[in-house]
Amino acid sequence: MSTTWLSAVVNGRKIRHLVATRSTLAEFLRTDLGLTGTKVSCELQVCGVCTVLVDGVPVSSCTYLAVDIDGRDVLTIEGMANGEQLHEIQQAFIDHFALQCGFCTPGFVMMTKALLDQIANPSRGDVEKFLEGNICRCTGYAPIVDAILEIGSKLHEETAS
Amino acid sequence: MSFLPDFTHRRPLALEEALNLVSADDMPYAGGTELLLAMKAGLLRPNSLVDLKHLPELREITVDGDDLIIGAAVTHQIVAGSHTVRDSVPILAEVAAQVGNPRVRSVGTLGGNLCFAEPRSDIATVLIALDAVVCLLSARGERELSVAEFIVGPYTTVREGDEILTAIRVQIVPGRLVVYEQFKTLERPTVGVAAVGLDDRSVRVVVGAVGSVVEQFEGPRHDIDPAQIAQHVEVIADLGGSERYKRHLTEVSIRRALERIEATR
Repeated sequence: MSTTWLSAVVNGRKIRHLVATRSTLAEFLRTDLGLTGTKVSCELQVCGVCTVLVDGVPVSSCTYLAVDIDGRDVLTIEGMANGEQLHEIQQAFIDHFALQCGFCTPGFVMMTKALLDQIANPSRGDVEKFLEGNICRCTGYAPIVDAILEIGSKLHEETAS
Repeated sequence: MSFLPDFTHRRPLALEEALNLVSADDMPYAGGTELLLAMKAGLLRPNSLVDLKHLPELREITVDGDDLIIGAAVTHQIVAGSHTVRDSVPILAEVAAQVGNPRVRSVGTLGGNLCFAEPRSDIATVLIALDAVVCLLSARGERELSVAEFIVGPYTTVREGDEILTAIRVQIVPGRLVVYEQFKTLERPTVGVAAVGLDDRSVRVVVGAVGSVVEQFEGPRHDIDPAQIAQHVEVIADLGGSERYKRHLTEVSIRRALERIEATR
């Protein structure tokens, strides 16, 4: 079986690993690095649960080769909280009951991070358009959109004041 | 989890080197949004993937005289946000912003989209409407083909195994009216209709996604009958809808596209 060396930064930590060339990023994160916060479901880039950020850009780790993170910076759900202190996106999801079973949440949180890095105070339309490719079967989406809008307006107030 | 079959990964840093590596079993690879899915499904089993996304020549967007030239490894996201594309062929930026979802757009490339020849490609429908041309390069030489000649059927192009699609060339026609009407419920459109206003008040209508290939109709505006075209085109019933439903959507989409052309004329 073909193997390849890769060097990258994952959640702020430098790594160097010999990986199976055929390994997807999701397999590599979950199996080689033990970062099982990233979930896998549809494996067709349709559901969004496996979303991670590579150099700040959201990708479906189920359909992305691990070897392609060579030389890049990867952020997964495990890199969001600061110790016991949840990231404000995670906290807003809790405050708004924007999850029930929680399986889709890592993907939604990572997509939200990508969105807010691009547009600090998105409109409801911006949020709905950006999250079009993420599926949640519990919440009906409204609490998720509300949570994101709240963080956006908070960020906006902070920068304004 | 489903797994990919074994393969080796090559990352050429020069186009010359890539040309020597690519063959029918050593496939060009960029975003992988469709190729990796086909490999997971066991439909393709290449010996190696030749990664083209690090080749600078394939990542440029330039204007050459009257032509907009987009490197084959440029992503949909880059096309959507490019000032050069927006200023020269705005419809292309508009449609690139609608492809799949943000994750697909951030890695999927224009060249990969065309080479995979997915029948529901918004990009292919629009590029055909724009008379776009693809540039194919191999160690044997270079050739240019219109996108309409390049895609010959569902998932089928005339690209030879040793050829690399390097760029897409679109003529810049100032003031040309082009619209795209799309209806989609998931990642891919159920129907996509592009309409182009031609000089002599005639129009071209290009219908994509409902059948296995894109179909084109051209003529004076009053001769283009949306109902007739919708009855005439090939329609494949699937989970996206029945034949009757898709013919209805096709008719409505053509009518809307023509109305938008008329409104801006």
